Amino acid sequence: MDSRNFTFLFYGFLAAWLILMVYVVSIVARERKLRQDLDRLRSMIEERSNK
Amino acid sequence: MRNRVLYAFAVVSAALLAMNLYTIFMKLPDELNQGMIYRIIYFHLPAALTCFTAFFCGLVASAGYLTTKDMRYDAVAASVTEVGLAFATVNLVTGSIWGRIIWGIWWTWDARLTSMFVCWLLYVAYLMLRRAIEEPVQRARLSAVLSIFAFTDVIIVWKSIEWWRTQHPGPVLTIRGGGGMAPGMQAPIYWNWLAMMLLGAILVAVRMRQENMRREIDSLRREAYAF
Amino acid sequence: MNFFRGAAVIAAKDLRSELRTKEALNATISFALAILLLFSFAFDPDADMVKQISGGLLWLVFAFSSALILNRSFAREVPNDCLDALISSPASGAQLFLGKAAANYALLLVVEAVALPVFGIFYDAHWTRQLGLLVLVLLLATWALTVIGTTFSALTVNLRLRELMLPALVYPALVPALMAAIQLTNVLVGSDTLDRENYIWFRLLAGFDVIFTLLGLAMAETVFVG
Repeated sequence: MDSRNFTFLFYGFLAAWLILMVYVVSIVARERKLRQDLDRLRSMIEERSNK
Repeated sequence: MRNRVLYAFAVVSAALLAMNLYTIFMKLPDELNQGMIYRIIYFHLPAALTCFTAFFCGLVASAGYLTTKDMRYDAVAASVTEVGLAFATVNLVTGSIWGRIIWGIWWTWDARLTSMFVCWLLYVAYLMLRRAIEEPVQRARLSAVLSIFAFTDVIIVWKSIEWWRTQHPGPVLTIRGGGGMAPGMQAPIYWNWLAMMLLGAILVAVRMRQENMRREIDSLRREAYAF
Repeated sequence: MNFFRGAAVIAAKDLRSELRTKEALNATISFALAILLLFSFAFDPDADMVKQISGGLLWLVFAFSSALILNRSFAREVPNDCLDALISSPASGAQLFLGKAAANYALLLVVEAVALPVFGIFYDAHWTRQLGLLVLVLLLATWALTVIGTTFSALTVNLRLRELMLPALVYPALVPALMAAIQLTNVLVGSDTLDRENYIWFRLLAGFDVIFTLLGLAMAETVFVG
């Protein structure tokens, strides 16, 4: 009982952190994608206005 | 400047979490009936409190948007709800793992668990609705209305352990009239709540910057097509 | 007084146009009967089982078939820009909402009035024993269904993914009301008497109706106009 208790406590803490980590990673990934979009649009507009 | 504040928040949050882990594992004894598994409450309950705080901020920001039509409120509501949803997920998953040990089952359909699951579904629907609408003003308006409707369920979740006899334990914190825990065992709950709120605040700040970027992208796109 | 007259005009208009074609009503009734039939194959219930599942079965039938009516309610106004005309008419958003809700309520009650006797025949359920209370539950819970459904139907009417978003919003929001209705219907059709525990569900149902009616009325203007 006690060792199972401990294992599940570990799972619980692991799950809590894992969920938050996955969320943080997804935020970072989105940030990168947004940055790329922004840079691409900026350079596109700059190019057009130079013509 | 803003980044420095965020780093400071992160450092304080990390320090608090480390301190709490030390207290929870080294100082506190096992609970009499539940053994060591009761320690899950130090994540389960603060995550719930954090997500309710976030959803409440979402409600306030949504009402703020509807009265002022200021898009900044919409950005706050969207960011806060998404971060709240992450903590709601932590709450549901840790609760389920605790239930497997104490009740022998992963899930039961009592009023508390059901209403919390409904709460989760409603705020997922909120994010889905935001994705389904392209026009920013319409998106802000309709999702604000949904946020106000969804918050009624948060009240049901909060009150469910008083209205029904649930399998989920009743209130444990002394401020809610519960007497289930020794004061020394309650303190880390509040500290962890503070730590999670700080963590949540960082995530919200990052998400809001992304909302601003998205708005800039939208306006640049319009400019690009206007040529 | 004027407020309700305006809502009544909208409701009468909706009912009239629905009764001329009966398209939503026919489709919904036949859909409800089809689910009742499917469930009887799926469970092949005996008398004891009917007692246990009658509430859940009935309310799932009502909830699923109501989606058809609720979806049509505003979608009907989209072609020819009828919705814009309604919004710019002298009727306020709240009147429009109340009128639409009243029309949907009447249609849903018709569907239920047809489906309930059929349920009694197919499943040999004694639903008439406590008819008064059962009707009260039906009236309260159907109003809950109507208010939530009408609000979210108005919310999603201009979306590209309207048909997909409506169920994703309506069913989670309805869960408290559906739970109450299912519990109460189980007791009433199973010919048990209501005890104190069951009255909490009545209170929940009534509270749900009041809160969401007020919220719907308050939010209607925002949803329609902005």
